[in-house]
Amino acid sequence: MPKLIIDNIPVEVAPGTSVLEAARSVGITIPHFCYHPALAIAAACRLCAVKLLDGPVKGIQMSCALPAQDGMVVSTTDPEALKMRALVIEWLMLNHPHDCPICDEGGECLLQDFTIAGGHSRRRYQGKKRTFQNQYLGEGIHHEMNRCIECYRCVRFYQDYAGGTDFGVMGSAGRVYFGRFQEGPLESPFSGNLVDICPTGVFTDKTGRFRARYWDYQFAPSICQHCSVGCNTSPQNFQRETIKIVGRRNDQVNGWFICDRARFDKSYLNDPQRPREPRLDGATCGYDVAVDAAAKSIAEFVRNNGADNLALVGSTRLSLEGMILLVQLAEAAGGARLCYYDDPAQQQGSVAAAKLLHEESAAYVKDIEQAQWVSLHAVDLMEEGPMLALAVRKAYLAGAQVFLVAGDALPVQSTLPFKYTAVETLDQVPFEGGGKGVIICGAGSKDPDLLAEMASSGAKLVMLQPGANGFAAALLAQEHAAVPLAELVSSRQVRGVVCFEADVPEVLLSELEVLASADWRRGPVEATSPIFLPTTTWVESDGTTINYEGRAQRFQRTRVAGLPLKGLDPKYYGSATEAVALHPPHVHRKEVPGGAERDAWRVMAQLIERLGGEAVEPLTGKWHALKSLDPEGEGARIFEMGLGE
Amino acid sequence: MIPETLKTSLQARVASAITAREAAVDVMKELQAHYGWLTDEAVEEAAALLGLSPLQVEELATFYEMIYRRPVGKKVIHVCDSISCWCADCDKLIQYLKDKLGVGLGGTTADGMFTLVPCCCMGMCGDSPAMSVGGTPYGRLTPELVDEILEMERKKA
Ligand code: SF4
Ligand code: SF4
Ligand code: FES
Ligand code: FES
Repeated sequence: MPKLIIDNIPVEVAPGTSVLEAARSVGITIPHFCYHPALAIAAACRLCAVKLLDGPVKGIQMSCALPAQDGMVVSTTDPEALKMRALVIEWLMLNHPHDCPICDEGGECLLQDFTIAGGHSRRRYQGKKRTFQNQYLGEGIHHEMNRCIECYRCVRFYQDYAGGTDFGVMGSAGRVYFGRFQEGPLESPFSGNLVDICPTGVFTDKTGRFRARYWDYQFAPSICQHCSVGCNTSPQNFQRETIKIVGRRNDQVNGWFICDRARFDKSYLNDPQRPREPRLDGATCGYDVAVDAAAKSIAEFVRNNGADNLALVGSTRLSLEGMILLVQLAEAAGGARLCYYDDPAQQQGSVAAAKLLHEESAAYVKDIEQAQWVSLHAVDLMEEGPMLALAVRKAYLAGAQVFLVAGDALPVQSTLPFKYTAVETLDQVPFEGGGKGVIICGAGSKDPDLLAEMASSGAKLVMLQPGANGFAAALLAQEHAAVPLAELVSSRQVRGVVCFEADVPEVLLSELEVLASADWRRGPVEATSPIFLPTTTWVESDGTTINYEGRAQRFQRTRVAGLPLKGLDPKYYGSATEAVALHPPHVHRKEVPGGAERDAWRVMAQLIERLGGEAVEPLTGKWHALKSLDPEGEGARIFEMGLGE
Repeated sequence: MIPETLKTSLQARVASAITAREAAVDVMKELQAHYGWLTDEAVEEAAALLGLSPLQVEELATFYEMIYRRPVGKKVIHVCDSISCWCADCDKLIQYLKDKLGVGLGGTTADGMFTLVPCCCMGMCGDSPAMSVGGTPYGRLTPELVDEILEMERKKA
């Protein structure tokens, strides 16, 4: 372990650590642009200069490209290093348009920070600046090439890291240009990361430009709910609207990046049409009135038909908290049935996967990245777990063989960022060296025998769950003998349902009486339910999810519930007695318009109390260990906590 | 569209390379010789031959100064403006060329014969100032010599 001294502070770091990272480990940030921990070293910008006063190398050095060595004495504040950094930043800024006030990056811009930190605050250059034509890059990203400082981060990410081929660097010398061959939407499903990785405002998020500045945003650690990978995100909100979603680092899950679905697919969160008012028989009512009515309706139904005839229907969209309380609500209702899935095949596969996975068999992301072979079994990875495609790509680049088993059965093939050999069955994949191989498949609708066969290969397993929180649903479904709704309906075992964030298909719905439903989106259940309880989405609630590998992760409420201020219908400001004013009321009021929504699990807790059950906390008993999960940490695999099978 | 024969020979060239990328410059030069400059169509054709994306070919095409992504005259004059030639007063020489041909840097003469572009050191520092015309290198240039060379190159064409 090299020991060195940085600005008089003794530092000890792992071999191979750069001087830049060694300094960072003791709280010294050396200005840098081209360096990014996830990318290969380019040493292109020359900003990270430090002076080595003593040791194996001496003089001015680039700290990002210099491995820490025993005996180094480093100064980050030496006048020569300071001068070098100041001159480099001045030179990088020569052509910059100085347009921060009209740049959406302003306030969250590494270039601003390091220009100031680098000691450049007065422009001396009076010559002409070189300028570029921008390109149309699609609906996600806005291009502003004049702000480029040629750090090459974008192209190293886009081509090397993410395997994209339609964006890169053209020209040479003072004319280098980062863009496409011809204008057009960026093709990579990871293109949105350009926004995060470019240290300046060349790429900004078109879907949220010019809405707010960094200091206006409300944010909190969150977890992407688009698939079961569970990437870490940070939604940025302003006036109850999710303006942007950016990646948040978690080396155990997504590294630094997220896929474009996570970043851009957010309009449903801000949708003014989201059902936000509690309803009783078609009319808006107070939330507690609706909860009372739901409790009464449940009690009545159970009295008349028996609890056996009632099913409480959840889904893989619910948080773990909601899934746990659903069990308790079923008890409070006198032993109602429990459903987390409607499709029997989905439940079967999902549960089988959760049973097969344990600490040894469930692959870590690192296992995928370091695998010698990877076998994708009839899985559309870009659909079911896009970020894992980048982990497979790492393995592929390191020489791993990749197989796609039964890929023909897949719908349209999206381009994967690695090459693979197509084979027909699992037997054709050479399994020797099983421990260093990884099998990736989707768990939903898979035959449990097939899943068991994969598990018996000795390879590490990735079984992607149907739905973001499918793993948790599988655990609870198994523990509490939940039955898929379709099965209960076809065997005529239930007649009434209460739905919590459940998307019941209309064929089933026609056979059922919906007593009440709780959801944050519209749908047939919401439309037919006599009692409706609006719930919060993941950006507006606290909760826990368990990803495909059994990793429990906590997300926090990133903003209050309620209608976004932008485009708010004047009716929310008007009163019932006076004419509608087009101005917010001149009186203060405490309620947020459309802000009645409650977290699904809190609604369940209230129903349990109304039904005479005890006041409940979801994360108690065997789940207690998850209570202390740090939302900013790496999460914890449930196997370590004795929560798995 | 390139003729089948050219296509086959280029395919053979690519096949004999260890990595396709390494054959990229050869392919681009051949296509350029065929079209007179590397057209957008040629970039796409090169991409198809090399198994790269058009962008990846464009990255290489725009890096090399002897690959022309715009129409050029019959012969391209590359006049060196790097350090040794600069010491030998290439600035004056470049001005002379501009005046003589009646074009700026990057321009093509009205008769479509010459295109004038500056270039980096061509390894002829010992004979600076230097230029090349249609691929033929010339050194120790003086205005008189330039007149002669242009006259000769024009005739040869
Ligand atoms: S566009 Fe951004 S990331 Fe790419 S080289 Fe320029 S400054 Fe760096
Ligand atoms: S891979 Fe899945 S969890 Fe990760 S960002 Fe994409 S959709 Fe979200
Ligand atoms: S960060 Fe070290 S040279 Fe760019
Ligand atoms: S500097 Fe002109 S040939 Fe070397």
